[in-house]
Amino acid sequence: MRTLLIVIILVLLVGAAAAALIGIYFIPLDTGDPSPVQPIAFSHKVHAGENEIHCLYCHRYAQVSKSAGVPDLETCKNYHIIIARDNPEVKKLMEYWKKKEPVPWVKVHDLPDYVYFQHKMHVHAGVACTFCHGDVATMDRIRRVSSLKMGWCLGCHRTNKVSIDCWTCHI
Amino acid sequence: MGIKRRKFLQLTGLTAAGTMLSSCGKGTEKLIPFLIPPDDGSIPGVANYFASACRQCPAGCGILVRVAEGRAKKIEGNPLHPVNKGKICARGQAALQDLYHPDRVRQPMKRVGAKGSGEFTPISWDEGLSLLLEQLNDLKKQGHADRLLFMTPRLQGTLSELVWSFMSVYGSPHHLAYEMLNTESYEQANVAVCGRGDVPDYDLEKTQYLLSFGADFLETYLSPVRYGNAFGKMRQSRPTIRGAFTYVGARMSMTAASADRWLPVNVGQEGVLALGMARLILEQGLYSREMVKNVEGNPEVWMKKLSDYDLHSVAERTGLAPEEITSIARDFATIQPSLALVGDSVVFQSNGQDAVQAIQFLNLLVGNVGQPGGLLFCSPPVGQGSTSSFANLLSKVDALERDEFHLALVYRTNPVHGLPSAIRFQEAFKRVPFVVSFSSIMDDTAMHADLILPDHTDLESWGDVVPWVGAHSQVTGILQPVVNPLYDTRSFGDVLLAAARGLDGEGEKVLPYKNYLDMLKQRVQRLIDGSSDTASEKNWVEILQRGGLFEQEEAVLDVPQKKGVSPVPVREPYFEGNKEAYPFHLALFASPVIYDGRNAHLPWLQEMPDPMTTAVWGAWVEINPKTAESLGIKHGDLVMVESTQGSVQVPAVIFPAIRPDTVAIPMGQGHHGMGRYADKVGVNPLGLLAPVMDKEHVLPAWGATRVRLTRISDKGDLTVMGHPEGSYRGELLEI
Repeated sequence: MRTLLIVIILVLLVGAAAAALIGIYFIPLDTGDPSPVQPIAFSHKVHAGENEIHCLYCHRYAQVSKSAGVPDLETCKNYHIIIARDNPEVKKLMEYWKKKEPVPWVKVHDLPDYVYFQHKMHVHAGVACTFCHGDVATMDRIRRVSSLKMGWCLGCHRTNKVSIDCWTCHI
Repeated sequence: MGIKRRKFLQLTGLTAAGTMLSSCGKGTEKLIPFLIPPDDGSIPGVANYFASACRQCPAGCGILVRVAEGRAKKIEGNPLHPVNKGKICARGQAALQDLYHPDRVRQPMKRVGAKGSGEFTPISWDEGLSLLLEQLNDLKKQGHADRLLFMTPRLQGTLSELVWSFMSVYGSPHHLAYEMLNTESYEQANVAVCGRGDVPDYDLEKTQYLLSFGADFLETYLSPVRYGNAFGKMRQSRPTIRGAFTYVGARMSMTAASADRWLPVNVGQEGVLALGMARLILEQGLYSREMVKNVEGNPEVWMKKLSDYDLHSVAERTGLAPEEITSIARDFATIQPSLALVGDSVVFQSNGQDAVQAIQFLNLLVGNVGQPGGLLFCSPPVGQGSTSSFANLLSKVDALERDEFHLALVYRTNPVHGLPSAIRFQEAFKRVPFVVSFSSIMDDTAMHADLILPDHTDLESWGDVVPWVGAHSQVTGILQPVVNPLYDTRSFGDVLLAAARGLDGEGEKVLPYKNYLDMLKQRVQRLIDGSSDTASEKNWVEILQRGGLFEQEEAVLDVPQKKGVSPVPVREPYFEGNKEAYPFHLALFASPVIYDGRNAHLPWLQEMPDPMTTAVWGAWVEINPKTAESLGIKHGDLVMVESTQGSVQVPAVIFPAIRPDTVAIPMGQGHHGMGRYADKVGVNPLGLLAPVMDKEHVLPAWGATRVRLTRISDKGDLTVMGHPEGSYRGELLEI
């Protein structure tokens, strides 16, 4: 009787583990908040939308590097020393500058370490920024609109007849 | 019990799922921008490559360092550098860990505990420098400037000039540039045979018959990357010729394993073999007539001098078959160009000097000196400082014992670990009242220091590196900082210049440089055109981009013609410890991985398997299977190795490729200090060595110690990748 009980318990344990594994299959892997709160309420709508500042003006490395880059604090400061000085969010920015600390932006688009993604190649291939990042010019707080799953990458690679070799991205 | 079965199962399932989920989910990643963008035009995500030079061993290769976001990430060889031609060895690659080592000395330190206790307290640079100056000025004021001892390795270029000038301004003649694997013996022999005191370059690439007497040129000998490259070309780059290679030596090193033929001659009889070959070559008239004319030699007189070296007695003394000796003698003389190399296992015998001379005479006899594919003496490299003699080292130890030194400065050398205790250096060194170390890591010698003024590591430094041997032209590699200094360290050159300025005297006049970089630039300009201006900025940047000054044209070969050379008989070798009590020769070899121990603090190298035994992390003793069987020793057993001087306990590696009467231990482990990866890892076999020396030439004989083995237990704690006998079993050489 006792052994039977142990066997049942074991079977149930294994079953529970298997169920958990299957569950994971359905849960999206990127569980990060698609639109996290940022340390400063920076508005892309104001900058890219109303003021029509080009993406590459701030994300200036997108054409030449794998990372698009975020503007350095000094650049932000140089503008806001004149523009919108009384805005409370700009004041926060100036506080950072005074402390000589960079703003710790929360990453919205994050790929795992085993994926090698290059902005440079995509920009040169003529993929518009909005294709992956959505209509940023209408967002106050930046929000992830693409799933960034492997299937999503491959779909586009297939449509555009780009390499789908494993080591195109996993090098 | 509060938990029901159902509840328990629910909880278990939840925990399992939760654990898996949390390991998949990621925390919020931050995107940290620059505060102020760097002005060097570097782009995040795009790597820069900087040319620099390697100082992990004296070979002096050129390197390219990949730097991304201000961090050094990878080191490769510089393709423009004439010594290593784009290749680099593991030791060079591991220099990255020198930079990132967690146990670096991060700021100046002052001793607070007892001497040698390793207890230090951080101080500021101002305080550190004033402590140094106080010591220097006090000594000088008392009129005892000659009580300063400066210990360095063999220095090169600007550093050599700087230390020399500093010592002459200060007024102390005691600069000791000595390390255990010293080249003095080669230099003495070359003066005797070729009339030139420098180390020649060996033209492996063009040779057709290579004979190495214990020279491990693929691992540690002089310039391993260069010779590795040349060896590949010697074997494979010519369509119809595959250069032949014979290795003579008691232990099969990785180099020996690459040979066509391994001749494990009796220990200390390598020189006898060379003279026996010379006699055979003379008898058969296979020598170079031109050479005999050049050196005004007389083959008949030479024959008479070699009368004791008839085939029969040479075969007996070396333990080789007569046919073997005749065949290599014939091949060596007839397959031209040929080349004989001689390495440390031969040099550090009590008759080492005779052997080196005999081997160089053999080279001379068949016309290898000065011909392509042989020994090439070029114009001596500009800026290669000299090495101190063993006699000098011994006199310094005597002076230390008489308390003649009140202040010792130690730069880039670790004598407390790296010199055999038999010469009594360690004990004597502890008597120095004030020791200043410039080490960037807390090494064995820094542990005994009173003040540590840490130098930058190589990737943070300016400097110049003159390759030991290698290029047939003048080469100066430039070391440039590829990253900003990680910690509050200062370049040794700048500290010494500051010290010279702070001296009451002429320091400022003799060393009128703003800083070390300024001094380096002026030296580079002198090398370019002999002027005393600073190199122009454009020139300078071009030099930095290339990695140094590499003369394009081949320098004129200098064929030394020393008149009246004749062969010198090889004395019988002497071994310390009688044959009954201490039956085995002890062969210490420079580790292919950590050399003489200077790289032992780098974990990449500690975990790199030794190429012959696959052992990692620590030292071991290599024992022939026959010997091991007779003593009941098994692979991995803990064994005590005893000499007349002391004993060490090491794991045994059963190694079929070593003479049964010889055991071998790698050098370089057993540090006390030097960071967490080297501290107390393995044993330092230098304590076993007996103070045997060649009294006639005042040269050390580190290969002249006999030892005995005793099995202690089966817990040797040996880590190997596989049983070394596994891959060789069945094809053992008969010895």
